[in-house]
Amino acid sequence: MRGFLFCMFESCADPSSLTGLAWFACYLTNGKHLLFYQSFGTVLGLLALAAPLALLFGFAGALAKRSQIPGLRQIGQVYVAMVRGIPDVVFFLFVPLLIDQGIEVVRHYSLCESTGPIYQGNDFVVCDAAKMPLSSAEPWVHSLYGFALALAAYAIVFGAFAANTLDGALSAVPTAQLETARAYGMNARQSFVRIQLPQMWIYALPGLANLWQILIKATPLLFLLGIEDIVYWARELGGTKGSRFAYPHPDWRIYYFAALLVFYMIMTWGSEKVFNRLQVRMSVGQATLSGKGAAL
Amino acid sequence: MTTPVLELNNIHKAYGDLEVLKGVSLKANKGDVIALIGSSGSGKSTLIRCANLLEQPQQGDILFQGEAIQFKGQGHDRQPSDAAQVRHLRTHLSMVFQQFNLWSHLSVLENVIEAPITVQGRPRDEAIAEAQALLDKVGIGDKGDRYPAELSGGQQQRAAIARGLAMQPTAMLFDEPTSALDPELEAEVVRVIQALAKEGTTMIIVTHDMKLARDVANHLIFLHQGVIEEQGPPADVLDHPKSERLQKFLSATKA
Ligand SMILES: Nc1ncnc2c1ncn2[C@@H]1O[C@H](COP(=O)(O)OP(=O)(O)O)[C@@H](O)[C@H]1O
Ligand SMILES: [Mg+2]
Repeated sequence: MRGFLFCMFESCADPSSLTGLAWFACYLTNGKHLLFYQSFGTVLGLLALAAPLALLFGFAGALAKRSQIPGLRQIGQVYVAMVRGIPDVVFFLFVPLLIDQGIEVVRHYSLCESTGPIYQGNDFVVCDAAKMPLSSAEPWVHSLYGFALALAAYAIVFGAFAANTLDGALSAVPTAQLETARAYGMNARQSFVRIQLPQMWIYALPGLANLWQILIKATPLLFLLGIEDIVYWARELGGTKGSRFAYPHPDWRIYYFAALLVFYMIMTWGSEKVFNRLQVRMSVGQATLSGKGAAL
Repeated sequence: MTTPVLELNNIHKAYGDLEVLKGVSLKANKGDVIALIGSSGSGKSTLIRCANLLEQPQQGDILFQGEAIQFKGQGHDRQPSDAAQVRHLRTHLSMVFQQFNLWSHLSVLENVIEAPITVQGRPRDEAIAEAQALLDKVGIGDKGDRYPAELSGGQQQRAAIARGLAMQPTAMLFDEPTSALDPELEAEVVRVIQALAKEGTTMIIVTHDMKLARDVANHLIFLHQGVIEEQGPPADVLDHPKSERLQKFLSATKA
């Protein structure tokens, strides 16, 4: 919000009189640019929420897939297979739409006074009370709803990938380790929680690190879902601005996209460092058994 | 006459069509040390694994302190029917594996206290104090905070023995405890087993080490193709083998 104050400065009041650094200072702190900076927060927020949610979906999927209960096992298998077999972009367009219309259909039948048919000709029509969000809602509610739908899509898609990774990692724990747990009287739950789960991480980590990188690189798909993310703003702000704009400038998109490039490079490079460190720390002890790591 | 600690009666076990155990019986009284010998593939591991139900026999009874394990189902579907009974059996018979099988994500001390705390619900302080005493006893008291991968094979196996003893078991089961070890490391594990025998620990030991069998066992069983071919006091059996197969086996192991 300091930027706002900056813009309030007398000097920014009349941009046409500015030159050099002063012009840039005012340009980079105008209202649109603040939204651009905020959109980095949107991307980081998405990552911060999508990763744990995807892990949660991943665990649910992996456990379902490994379950002894026939129905549940098939659900797990279908979940993983479906997302793996369908292009991400299709899924990203499909899931938010599915959730959105699903919610509206349910609300249509429970909230509307007269429930006419939802499909009228080619149109999907629900009554005003069933709209998500209500047309009377504040703009931020609309943004948040759109963001939540996108988040759900990320969680479901990456959850399926994570499910596959976690399933593989759980299987990679040597059977002798689990058999020993049984031999010492542990029941299935104890052996899972005390032995299999803690030992699984070292096998899951490379796969999860890879998924995290893919997740970072998939954040521009937000743009596709109509969310004003960093790609949206880079295009918007970078485009040629004619003389009717307060800060006219030629096509600067290349600079804006270069900024995104740097942002993504820092993100992926930084997380690779973190994961490498984690890998080394976790492989202490499991070193000889997993064949990697640097104990001794 | 006191009740035997463990009794296996007429155990049959097949994997698919492969009949591995064809009616094996054994009885371990308190303080007994039984050595199981036999060539590779004769069914020694399978037998000792049936004793704590890591494998389910298709036929035959397992009695722990006189109480028969309850089964349901037939043939390959035969399963113990009472989980509490299985848990009781397993917490009273501690298994030591050929490949040690220490839990790789836990330090040595954590390995020793894991089952006493998780399975037996013993207080942590008490479990730690006892674990430390056991690690001292097997000669690796200074290795408690190391991970298994940081230890030699002999040290790992001694840690595994300490883990077994920490359950305060009624009997110990050993499946070739020294077979994965170099000769010089083998000796340190043998010494621990000898000490346990002197204290009167009930043990069933699968071994290829005839000297160990002769030293510690009061009963020796020679298993051949899933049946007991010969058994008796170790000195008798080893010095005067009756069956041709045991004679062959012994001359092969000496060579
Ligand atoms: N899980 C299993 N599945 C199939 N066959 C097995 C299995 N475990 C052991 N066997 C077979 O049973 C026989 C006896 O094995 P085992 O009891 O390990 O012998 P030993 O310990 O005396 O060397 C061998 O032929 C082995 O291949
Ligand atoms: Mg064996």
